[in-house]
Amino acid sequence: MRAEQAISIRYFTLLGIFVAAIIAFTLHAIEMPNHLQRPEFLTGYVMFGLMLLVALLNVRKKLSMVPIGRAAYWLAGHAFFGVMLIGLYFVHTQTIWPEGGYERAFAMMVYLVTASGLAGYALQRISPRRLAAADLEIIYERIPAELAEVRRKVQAIVLESTKESGADTLGRHYLESLSWYFRRPRFFVPHLFGLQAGQHWIRFQVQTIERYLSAAERAQLTKIEGLALYKDKIDLHYALQSVMKYWLLIHVPLAAALLALMFWHIIAVNVYAR
Amino acid sequence: MVTATIMARPQRWDAPFGPEMTDTDVERLLTLPEIAAIERGKFPNHTPLVGVIKNDSRLVRFEAGDIVVREGDYGNSAFLVVTGKLRVVLAPKLPRELIGRQSSRRKGLLEALSQIWTNRVIPEVRDTQRYTDQKLRGSATDLARSQVFLQDVPAVLVDHKTAELGPGTLFGELAALGRVPRTATIFAEEGAELLEIRWQGLRELRKYDAGWRRKIDERYRQNALKVALRESPLFQGLNETELQEVANATLFETYGSFDWHVSYKRMREQGKAEQEPVIAREGEYPDGVLMIRAGFARVAAKMGNGQRTLTYLGAGDTFGIDELWAGRDGTDVSLQTSLIALGYVDVLRVPAPILEKFVFPKMKAPPAPLIERAGRPLTEDAPMEWAVEQRFINGTKSMLIDLNLCVRCDDCVRACASTHGGNPRFIRHGPTFDHWMVANACMHCADPVCMIGCPTGAIHRSISRGAVVINDTTCIGCGTCANSCPYNNIRLVEIRDVGGRPIRDPDSQKPILKATKCDLCETNPGGPACVRACPHDALRRVDFRSGDIFRSLG
Repeated sequence: MRAEQAISIRYFTLLGIFVAAIIAFTLHAIEMPNHLQRPEFLTGYVMFGLMLLVALLNVRKKLSMVPIGRAAYWLAGHAFFGVMLIGLYFVHTQTIWPEGGYERAFAMMVYLVTASGLAGYALQRISPRRLAAADLEIIYERIPAELAEVRRKVQAIVLESTKESGADTLGRHYLESLSWYFRRPRFFVPHLFGLQAGQHWIRFQVQTIERYLSAAERAQLTKIEGLALYKDKIDLHYALQSVMKYWLLIHVPLAAALLALMFWHIIAVNVYAR
Repeated sequence: MVTATIMARPQRWDAPFGPEMTDTDVERLLTLPEIAAIERGKFPNHTPLVGVIKNDSRLVRFEAGDIVVREGDYGNSAFLVVTGKLRVVLAPKLPRELIGRQSSRRKGLLEALSQIWTNRVIPEVRDTQRYTDQKLRGSATDLARSQVFLQDVPAVLVDHKTAELGPGTLFGELAALGRVPRTATIFAEEGAELLEIRWQGLRELRKYDAGWRRKIDERYRQNALKVALRESPLFQGLNETELQEVANATLFETYGSFDWHVSYKRMREQGKAEQEPVIAREGEYPDGVLMIRAGFARVAAKMGNGQRTLTYLGAGDTFGIDELWAGRDGTDVSLQTSLIALGYVDVLRVPAPILEKFVFPKMKAPPAPLIERAGRPLTEDAPMEWAVEQRFINGTKSMLIDLNLCVRCDDCVRACASTHGGNPRFIRHGPTFDHWMVANACMHCADPVCMIGCPTGAIHRSISRGAVVINDTTCIGCGTCANSCPYNNIRLVEIRDVGGRPIRDPDSQKPILKATKCDLCETNPGGPACVRACPHDALRRVDFRSGDIFRSLG
């Protein structure tokens, strides 16, 4: 079975289970006031349970040595129940934007965690395809070393060109403009949005200097252009892999804050409910 | 003026098997009855018998209890007993621990979970105590003398049924020529001197001497041929007598180099493929059906200036049956495709008249001819062509990553590290094609060349899952397996003691090394942790021979 089909089946199964649970849950909640019971407690504790379940994904990642289900199933559950929690939140609060500072902080956290989660999920679905299409595969931690190697090669070409031609045209251009590009990853934001700013910059630099070069120097410039285009692919990897790695630095602390608010909310509700 | 470096053209025997072999040794060996009986005149001038003995063989000495060959090992040489007595273990088999294997007990849930707190910050920590009671002679610096030995030979003789192998006995030739695992364990009962003949020499002896050829072929017919034929669907309707007739008429052939991994590695480094030997050529008339006994071959059809791979064949697969079936009424049908060796291939050729007499009358029409696959669009077969070219078809558990799904989170790497004492056993990097990557993880090959030459038998197949695993206790860190692995999937690591301090050899002051590789989480519950840890289902362990992997995975 294709991996994407498997993912779709997984989500539809979860959706089916959840819809059935929601129907049963709603029918029960509707009946609760008739028995002098408060449905907010039920919805609240279901939310609490689901939030804990969703948070367990991180624990699953630390327990790779024991067979407690494939991480792919856990992630599917994490994403699915995470989104469903928003619906449950509306049922629980009966409003989009509640009254009161604490409640608003809580609502803000719910929205931010969900939004960051959805953004991360979208990133993780789109970015791998863009990286695969780049025709280069590089391990994130090796990027600095690879960039250093590219820079070393470019500098060697520039020095060789200067030595052979006796002219410093290429060397001067390297110091004035190209060195900026080769120093570190560039065009981070354009790469994120799929823009070709890096390639455009390279073309501009080549056109700018080309007219002042001899045939031999042009051959060296072509080599530099090849390395620059190669670096452009590394920059793409750097941008996308960085975002895929570090979006969790937003999502996880927000989720932790939401959990803390939730615990405080449960304590407060139970203390003042009597 | 450009000056060229001058060197003699490399010759076949530039690297003799046993550099310490002297002319006196050769003279003595030529007087052995088994070698004296060989007709020297039949050998060509460029490959004289004396040259074969001197360069393709070596004298090895074993002390009482030394294990000469282990059941399940792969080997590229055969042995002729010169002096002394050996014993072959018939039944019951020797316990695995006794012959240097690992006892792969699977951990319980709690024990697996305990790795959270037992894993150390410093990786590759070993309790050195367990190395002290191993039954091992020699060390990594003395490879010729490094071997697992049996301490209590009399007890083994009492508890196990064995047979004696005396001077003049030849053994190990089928495993060496056929690239199949050794079928029995043989150990020295007393001090013994053996002539070890590497496969190249063995092939020459079989080729040029009728006596050796008869001996090897007869042994093969007796021991393995009928089993191989019986397993093929082609011969399943035959009774015992008919099968014997087929076996008697079957010819044995080998193609390619036994050391294919050497040229393959060169190809990967230089990006230039070497000429592959053609077993059967498109357009020629088939004189029999070809059955692969060991190794791999690709079925190819001419396409422009090259050869398009239509499929590949492995052990048990047949070639040429489409054309022979179509021509069974007497019409001449030439081969529609070529069969080309991928590395080393051991082939059985069953002559056409035998097929017409015994097989065709009982056979149903074969499925669609292989040539029909040439009608598929080129892009459909491109990933398979790549897998064949890169020899990934050898892998039974290759780590295939779908780069369209992989978010490069390294959860797989961390999962591997957490189940292997803090150090991962693979690198999430490797050759890519389209959106596929075969990562640098042991593929648990069908033809595990890494197992050839391990002096202690530390690298072996596990009984439970057939994975290729390394027994850390008997590994001497010589690097033979790592050097042989065509895919660079075995790594030598410097080990540390329980205090985290590096361990050094007292004589050489060099660090003690151990070979490490993916073991498919042999001792952990739940199968490979890398697969379970991937949150996006991007990582699979696949057998390239089980259908069209790329199409099924999308």
